[in-house]
Amino acid sequence: MCGMSSPATDTSARASGRLARFTRGVRLGFPILLGYVPVGMTFGVLARKIGFSSLQAVVCSATALAGAGQFIALSVLAAGGGVLAVLAATVVVNLRYVLFGATLAPRLGRVSHALRPFLAFTLTDETFAVNTTDARIAGLDPVSALGVGAIAWLGWVSGTALGALASGAIPDPSRFGAEFAMPAMFTALLVGQIETRSHAYAAAIAAAVALTTAAVLPGTWGVTIGAVVGAAIAAWRLT
Amino acid sequence: MRDPGTIWAVIAGMAIANFVVRFTPIALVSRARIPEPVARWLSYVPVAVMASLVATEVLRPGGSWLLTPRNPYLLAAIPTAFVFGKTRSFLGATLAGMVSFLAFRALVG
Repeated sequence: MCGMSSPATDTSARASGRLARFTRGVRLGFPILLGYVPVGMTFGVLARKIGFSSLQAVVCSATALAGAGQFIALSVLAAGGGVLAVLAATVVVNLRYVLFGATLAPRLGRVSHALRPFLAFTLTDETFAVNTTDARIAGLDPVSALGVGAIAWLGWVSGTALGALASGAIPDPSRFGAEFAMPAMFTALLVGQIETRSHAYAAAIAAAVALTTAAVLPGTWGVTIGAVVGAAIAAWRLT
Repeated sequence: MRDPGTIWAVIAGMAIANFVVRFTPIALVSRARIPEPVARWLSYVPVAVMASLVATEVLRPGGSWLLTPRNPYLLAAIPTAFVFGKTRSFLGATLAGMVSFLAFRALVG
């Protein structure tokens, strides 16, 4: 929380100029750029494969900045889902941002209302991790957090552009195992999410609900219902 | 392949949906706290999403069931999970997954 940082660090952070604070955030966020470029490239290539133009792929990344939310949108579109099914899926995948926002909100006491939409827009797993770690040390500096968000956005958008433009140069994506690129990423994300035994149980419950739903309902609602209902059962039954 | 109109509608919808999900709590929560049961539910959402995705992508690749031990998607998920668990590298795990998928498809497909 802002008020909990010591007066000394607070004053020194405020004393340095806005540009210096922004640049500090850019430096803090630089590893995020390194991580986003290759994943953004994968999004660009896959988006082109299911019918996005390069412009559409780049606009999507620039306005959604949604990582897994964008990959699931591609997967629902490729499976024939409509606009509503895609939006339901992307919202469910990114529901965790509600929790991130709720965690950050109490720290934004003195942050100007003009800055808040920009901080919200650049909220991702990685910027959240960097900013909350930094806030523990120095107190949340919104201008620095904006720098973190800006460099993350740049990495995601430029990666997407590179991937979308290079996708034409890749003759047959299946020759490189591209069908497994999305499942592989989701598998890695799943392993990263399983931190405790209850997370592992929650994963098993959600998978079972998703597969049962897929057996009964048409289309791609299995993922959406598996996530919402699976998480609800886990929250209700597990400690 | 999907038509450009659908894709633009999806892009616009995603831009709005993702902003609303991110901004609403920042705009509101400073005053009201999220109730404990809702916070618990939200804390399980990420793992539930990923598990649902992996289960359907691996056992229903391309939208049709592939419930057999000779399923290259299922087999390739194992080294992918292992590599991520060992290295914590997103890119490394994805590449390992793609390579082992090619190997399993050549072996069992």
